[in-house]
Order: sequence, then structure tokens, then C-alpha cells
Amino acid sequence: MTDSQASQVANSDSSSEEVAANMDKENVVLRVDDLVKSFGALVATDHATFEVERGTITGLIGPNGAGKSTLFNLISGFYESDAGRVEVNGTDVTDMEPYDIADHGLIRTFQTPRKLEGMTVREAMLVGPREQPGESFIKLFTDPESVRQREQQNLDDAEQILEDFEIDHLATQPATKISGGQLKLVELARAMLAEPEILLLDEPAAGVNPTLRNKLAEQIRRLNEQGTTFLLIEHDMEFVMSLADPVIVLDRGHVLMEGTPDEVQNDERVIDAYLGG
Amino acid sequence: MSVREIADDPKAYWSGLTRAEQGVSGFIIGFVVLLVGGLFTGILAPTYFLFLVGLAGMYSLLSLGLNVQWGYTGLINFSVAAFFGIGAYGTALASASSSPIAGNLAPVVGLLVALALAAILALLIGIPTLRLRADYLAIASIGLAEVVRIIILNEEQVTNGSSGVRGIPAFFDGWPLLETFPQTMPNIAVSWLPGGTVVLRQPFWSALLNVVVVVSFIAASYFVLRRAHRSPWGRVLRTIRSDEDLARALGKNTYRYKMQAFVLGSLIMALAGVFYAHLNLFVAPGDLDPITTFYVWVAVMLGGSGSNRGALFGGFVIVAIREGTRFLNAFEFIPFDIAPLRLLLIGVIIVLLMRFRPQGVLPPQRELIWPSVVDDAPEQPDSGVRGAKAGENDD
Repeated sequence: MTDSQASQVANSDSSSEEVAANMDKENVVLRVDDLVKSFGALVATDHATFEVERGTITGLIGPNGAGKSTLFNLISGFYESDAGRVEVNGTDVTDMEPYDIADHGLIRTFQTPRKLEGMTVREAMLVGPREQPGESFIKLFTDPESVRQREQQNLDDAEQILEDFEIDHLATQPATKISGGQLKLVELARAMLAEPEILLLDEPAAGVNPTLRNKLAEQIRRLNEQGTTFLLIEHDMEFVMSLADPVIVLDRGHVLMEGTPDEVQNDERVIDAYLGG
Repeated sequence: MSVREIADDPKAYWSGLTRAEQGVSGFIIGFVVLLVGGLFTGILAPTYFLFLVGLAGMYSLLSLGLNVQWGYTGLINFSVAAFFGIGAYGTALASASSSPIAGNLAPVVGLLVALALAAILALLIGIPTLRLRADYLAIASIGLAEVVRIIILNEEQVTNGSSGVRGIPAFFDGWPLLETFPQTMPNIAVSWLPGGTVVLRQPFWSALLNVVVVVSFIAASYFVLRRAHRSPWGRVLRTIRSDEDLARALGKNTYRYKMQAFVLGSLIMALAGVFYAHLNLFVAPGDLDPITTFYVWVAVMLGGSGSNRGALFGGFVIVAIREGTRFLNAFEFIPFDIAPLRLLLIGVIIVLLMRFRPQGVLPPQRELIWPSVVDDAPEQPDSGVRGAKAGENDD
């Protein structure tokens, strides 16, 4: 146990000096600075600091209870932080409402796919686009033509993206009657309709069968090439290591290290964090 | 579905309906036949019949209002009676001759006063509770209903207290032509009925005018709601109902949407109250009894939460049960008094409904996308409305 104790000391050192994550990135979409959140005595996020560079697929891994989901909830505004700062595109969004943060271009998905009762898949997709004229009650009656045009355009976009995802055959299926994996694809597709600059995916591959998982990885890679930045939490090491670069490792609420998949996999502190501690 | 489509090809129209729609259509046709039979044989007096239609329209309006809140958005509002009462008292205090504060204003002014009061009340209760989880609104609204009732009962210098407000004019009072319509219409004697001669006198024409009022209120509300339900606005509301966190993550200001839905629903409920005041020509604090809230919830659940047609249907069924049970006493072979058992009957219906058809009789059947954008709207299988509510798992 001396090893792990030593690594703990190293950890606390590194977090106070903020060298755990690479903070010299050039084009930063998301900057998380010294973020703290505790639930009673449990410090779920402990001075977490890292950056996500535009155009990357950044992985966020860590053992169970490392505080990955808490961190996501803090960044996306679902939890209020105790201290620290979150910036999206240089704008301070700390403790803003989730919909405000979404307006700044940060969209998230959820670990357990959310089902929309009573909607078809394409209907559920149409919730995605932001700032639709038809979302204003007044415009429904004063300007129905612009509502119609936008709805038409959104529906075309939705069907196009379903086709790109090769799930267009599901378009008119009830959103509650598709498989868990398909639901994840739909959720990713819907999030894309919101035109995010950075998309936070919370365990996109969890509970998805291997065929769909490959498809999902392929789609994430394709969307990334088209310009979307991704930050993803993942437990499936194979999935995340093949997809993400760089990878940030979280342990007990703070950033343990950041590096390429190879560096991370061969780092002793990471192995310690996963096996012992 | 226009009337022309039905007339052109009734068979195709019929087969295009879902089973639930066919069942309900059949039921309605049967019911109408029964009523017409009652009218023709003289069991049902025409004036009383029109009064019942007005009452059913009133319940339908209340159900449409609650459907916006609960059916679309998932807001649990147990103060339907309060908004109904605010509507009734709003117009009564503005237009009645015995009103202690204003009085003798035109009923249209009363309508506007009622709507304004309902909107203010909805905002006041919505501002503190709509940011919280759904449960808090439910609890607060139970309290609100009682607070409003007790204020009306006790603030005598403003509301006349327990003696109520008398001397409310009919809705068309002060309108050209329509004001004197019941007086100017001749008494028509209908003598070709098997049940004997029925003379249609002034009360009949007044009742007919009341039906015109409620039907136009319903038509206006239904027009607004149908468009809203199929719009992106309605879609956000339905997303909030299924999963508020998802809506927030996608950049929707859910508090604002919930407030809009809550106010809209409350306005429609107040509209029902306005109609009631001008139908009954007298309002008293007893009209705000919580039983109204209970009936309206039953109507919405029965019709199918989230469905406008279901709400209309539910409103009519409630009146059919409420008033129809009176007639059962006419059957002498039933050895006990049935009318007092109607609450039990409604309870049994709810239990059966929840057991065998939890989604209601006429749940939303079709995809809700802005009309003319899609022409091949597929049928949707029935889906239950009871699901995980937002905020319960936030992982």
C-alpha cells in the first residue's frame, strides 16, 4: 500500500500545481478551472482543472466514483459548483442554467438514454434544433409561415442525419420502442441537430451491442472530422482508447493525468487508481 | 379531416380511424340517438337538454385547460376549481347588479377581468413553484384552491361572502339583436312529437344562446390548442413532461415554457368559469368546492392525457354520469337510490380505466408535426403516459 499512498501524495501535489492536465492548448473550446463540488463530506469534484482543444475527441476516464458524471453535471449546469470556473469559448458559464450553457454551444447527452413518451423517432429528433420560431407561442399565430418553413427544414435535416446514421428506417417508429443502442444513436443524432460546438457524451457505448458500438464510434469520428469537438466519458477502454486523443484521467475528483491513449495505458498512477486505492 | 372528406368517402374515412376512434365514434352516435329519442318522446325537456349541453361544454373547457397543464406539460394542478371560481367571480363582480365593487359593466368587460385575474393568479402561484419539481406545484395548488375559496367566502365587502353574487346578466346582455333574441323569438309549438306537444318558449331560446356561447368558447380554445399541440412549442412541452432535464440540456428554458402552459391552461379554465356565471346567473363560494377539480381530473384521465379530443370527450362523459345517474332512479326495479352513488361509480370507472386502459379512451393517436410539413403521418400505437418524471434520476 505504500505505493498507492505515495501516489496519493503525488496527486495532491500535482493538483495544487495544476500540472496534471495539459493547459497549453492553443484553441480551447472548454476550460475547466479549479472546479470543486462536495456533497456533505464527500468531495466529488476536487479542484479539477483541464482544457478541451477544438477539433479533438477528448476522453474522460476514471474508476467508478471518480466523479466523472458529477463533473459533467457541473460543466453543463445541472449542478451548482462550490468553487471554480467553467468557460465555453472564452465565456464564463459557471453556474449558468443548462439552457444558457447550451446556447453557448455546449450540448450534453445522458448516461441512461432518455425516452420521449408518445413521440416517434423523427418527432423526438425535432426537439433538437435550437431557437425554432415555432417554439414561440405568439409566432404560431402571427407568423405561421416561418414556423412551417423552419419545421420543414428541420424535418429534412432530421431525416438526413438519420440517413447518415443509417437509422432512417426508424424515423416513424415510436421513440420508446427502439433498442437501447438505437436510442443512443438517436440521442447523438438529436444532439447534433442542436449544432453544438462541443458535445459532451456520457458513456455513449454503455449497454450497446458491439455492432452498434462500432457504428457509434464511426459516427463520432465522422462528426469530429466535420468539425464537432467531443468530450466523452467512457468505461469501455477499448472504445475510448481507439477513439479519443488525448485522454484525461480522473481520480477522486481531480485530474490525475492527461496524455495519449498509449501514455495513459502505461502510466503507473493510472493503473494504481484503477486497481488499488 | 374535413367534413367534405367524410361526405366524399365515408367508408374510407371510417377505416382510416383507429380502433379507439371507431369505438368512441360509435359510442357518440349511440348516445346521440339515445338523447334524440329522449327528446322526441318527451322524457327529456328541450330546455333542460340544452342546459346539460352547456354544462358538458363547461366541463370540456375545464378539461381542455387541465389538459394543457397536465396532458401536455405534466404539471399537476389541483386548483382547477380555484381558476374556475376566479373566472366566475371575475365576470360576476364586474357585471352583476349586486356586485359590491364594480357592477353593471358589460359581460365582455367581465370576461376580460376574469381572464386577467386568472392570469395574475397563475403567475403568482407559478413563479415560486414552477422552478421546483412537479410535486411542489401539486402541493401548492391544493393549498391555493382552499385559500381562494376561503378568501371569497370571508371577504364580504368585496365578494358578498356566503350570500354570493346575484343579478348577473346573460352573456349577450348589451349586444345588438342577440340581447333581445329570446324575447323576440316566437313561441313555437312542436306538436308532431309522440310525447305530446312541446312549446319552445323564451327559456329555450336563452338556453340556446348559452350553448352558442360555450360552443364558441370551446371552438376558440380548441383552435388555439390544436395548433399549439402540433407545433414545436407543444413538442417542447411534451419533452418537458417526459424528461425535463433533456429539454434543458437541449437549450430550452423549461421554466418559461411551463409558465406559458400553466397560464394558458388557467385562462381556459377561467373561460369555463365565465360561462358558468352567465349560465347560472348566480355564483356562490360553494361553486369553488374541490369536487369540481376532482371531476375535471377524471375527465382528462378518462379522455386520455395529452389529447384535446379526449378532454372534450371526457367533459361530456362526466356530465353524462353526473346527470345521467338522476334518471336511473326512474327505473323502479332498482331497489336503492342510485344518484348518491355516482361518486362510487366514478371511482369504479377510474379503477377499471387504470387497470385496462391507463392511457385513456382517446390518447393522442398521431404524430404531432406541423400540418402540411408531413403528409404521411403514421399511426402511433397507444403508449402509456405514466413514465419516469424529470428530476428523479439525474445521473
